[in-house]
Amino acid sequence: MRNTFQEQLEQLNVELIKMGALCEEAISAATKAYLEGDRELGKRTGRLEQEIDNKERDIEGQCMKLLLRQQPVAGDLRTVSAAMRMISDMERIGDQALDIAEIARDIAPNHLESRTPMEEMAREAIGMVTDSVDSFVRGDLTLAHRVIARDDRVDRLFLQIRGELTGLIAAGEDGSVCLDMLMIAKYFERIGDHACNIAQWVEYALTGQYEED
Amino acid sequence: MTEKIFRNSMAVGISVFLLSVALFMGVLYQYFGNQLTDELETEAWLVARGVESMGMEYLDGLKSSSRITWVDRDGTVLYDSVVDPATMENHADRREIQDAMRGSQGTSVRDSSTLSEKTFYVARRLEDGTVIRLASAQYTVVVLLLSMLQPLLVILVVALVLAAVLASRLSKRIIRPILDLDLEHPEDCDTYDELAPLLTRIRRQNDTIQRQMELLRQRQQEFAALTENMSEGFVLLDKRGHILSYNSGALRLLGALAPAEEANVLTLDRSDAFRRVVEQVLAGCRNQGRLERNGRCVHLMADPVFRGDQVDGAVLVLVDVTEREQGEQMRREFTANVSHELKTPLTAISGMAEIIKNGMVEPEDITGFAGDIYKESQRLIALVEDIIHLSRLDEGGPSLQRENVDLLELTRGVAQRIEPLAKKAGVTLAVAGAPFTVWGVRAVLDEMIYNLCDNAVKYNRPGGTVTMSVDPGPNGRGGEVTVSDTGIGIPAQDQERVFERFYRVDKSHSKEIGGTGLGLSIVKHGAALHDAEVELTSTLGQGTSVKLSFAG
Repeated sequence: MRNTFQEQLEQLNVELIKMGALCEEAISAATKAYLEGDRELGKRTGRLEQEIDNKERDIEGQCMKLLLRQQPVAGDLRTVSAAMRMISDMERIGDQALDIAEIARDIAPNHLESRTPMEEMAREAIGMVTDSVDSFVRGDLTLAHRVIARDDRVDRLFLQIRGELTGLIAAGEDGSVCLDMLMIAKYFERIGDHACNIAQWVEYALTGQYEED
Repeated sequence: MTEKIFRNSMAVGISVFLLSVALFMGVLYQYFGNQLTDELETEAWLVARGVESMGMEYLDGLKSSSRITWVDRDGTVLYDSVVDPATMENHADRREIQDAMRGSQGTSVRDSSTLSEKTFYVARRLEDGTVIRLASAQYTVVVLLLSMLQPLLVILVVALVLAAVLASRLSKRIIRPILDLDLEHPEDCDTYDELAPLLTRIRRQNDTIQRQMELLRQRQQEFAALTENMSEGFVLLDKRGHILSYNSGALRLLGALAPAEEANVLTLDRSDAFRRVVEQVLAGCRNQGRLERNGRCVHLMADPVFRGDQVDGAVLVLVDVTEREQGEQMRREFTANVSHELKTPLTAISGMAEIIKNGMVEPEDITGFAGDIYKESQRLIALVEDIIHLSRLDEGGPSLQRENVDLLELTRGVAQRIEPLAKKAGVTLAVAGAPFTVWGVRAVLDEMIYNLCDNAVKYNRPGGTVTMSVDPGPNGRGGEVTVSDTGIGIPAQDQERVFERFYRVDKSHSKEIGGTGLGLSIVKHGAALHDAEVELTSTLGQGTSVKLSFAG
């Protein structure tokens, strides 16, 4: 009985790792689609987002089954409930990656992004997602804390980009492109927030403490 | 075991107690019954004598604990000491009375109606044929037991407590030596003889286990040592994808941290390609993939392990193929370059020859065209010569004649030959240093230094300088030849690649400068032939310096 339970918990773990990996791929593909203007990667992001949604439903079902049939307590209960929260954050990351890819599809090729720290922002957001999944995979509390701390940096970058975009519009650049870029920057900032949430759930699963913002 | 011994001894104690109570009661009861009958018989005889001599008055005056009944010959009750004889029924059918009428005496025992008493009857026939019967009651065993219940229970409780204490002490004392057994060192134990065979067996099994553990450990160490020294990565999985074994090479190639015990393989890497390979191999399909990690290309090969026809696990082998891929890339580029470089002059030659052939050139212009054709052919020849040089150097050049070559003298000669070129480019040449002799191939050394000087002049600016210095090492062992210029320099990202065949930093202007793109490649191979090292330092826009260091 308990053995089945352990196996199911492990299965849940593996599925979460896979879902995390899908998120990483989705956001990397979306970023590349935007920065390099690669249409194929944009389509790939769509497929990945679909996969992420399916994964979320699967994992949710698994969690429910675990809760109802095995009635876990203490640490195991925390793991399962953290998993349920994590997947909704991951699913949002997938959605936002798709949003970025969609804007990238419509945006005309231009070199405005090289005049803003957009690439750095993308790198930072991807890094946060990777690190948050890593912290979950390894059960690494320090890494989770580092991810949470990194959120401030992404927020600052967003403000910086917003400021620079205002400058660009004032300098007579295409306003709609600048607004699209602002949206993309906002999505990256949201992705950073979700990664930060995932790290907080990792912390909760490990210690039982949930850090309120 | 303790409990069993305890229970058994308790059971023995209690049953002994109960049995002895029963036996005691039985014996006593029998004894008292007999005694009562005897007494009744004696009394009956006495009463019979009395009645025979005195009749009814005797009975009236008699005081007795027993019930006395006088029955007539026909069974009518004449007298009874307890009940009025008129109310009593005929007694002729009573056994003791019948016995007494037939013989002289009869006895019988009957349970009374309440079962709590037993009545003993003794009847005696008088001389006139009537019968005197005496009756006396005795309590039954049940009643006796009930009356003794209280003391019996007290004794039972005392006995139980005593039995419990003793039984528990006994069982503990029996068990103690068994509990004290040291199973790690069974031979040191001083315990029951009956256990000796068991202990011997345990000792033997301990030895066997230890030997096998040692063997296993050794195997494991050998295995670990073998896999650790592999440059390839190696991961062994069970059928559910848990990591059974891995080496540090795998962690290095995947850029992963050491996984936890029994962790899933996806904790090592979760990329798409890796997941697909793992999924398929655990489904029983041999397959491979290609990963890119930290700028290295890793080739991943996965083989399922079968037991019967079921997948029982998988072996992943990771190989760093960065260099191989780079080598392939270089070979491809070389082939493409060679074809291109050979074709360019040929196309020009062919085109000009075609124009002349078609008679589209005025006779006076033919000289100019011929000059161009000549120039292009010369370039082609130079290119082919360079390629031949290179391939000869590639083969290691066993046909090349070695001799003592003075590098200072050689450098001076090169400088003289290159002087006209330098003048044309407005570059000043300077040779400095001391004589220094190496054992090598004159033609190759000449070509190397010529190529270096040629480059230094070509990639220079008007008014620049080229300095060639020859420095023999201390004690005449080893030495260096340095060619420095004040030219355009080489960008940092290209410095590694300029020694590759046909590599050009500025591809768009190579035609104007000339050269085959093979010069530095020849320098590199020539240096390898002479066990020399080539060191290139360059700052973009300030100049380049190439140092050939010859070993002693």
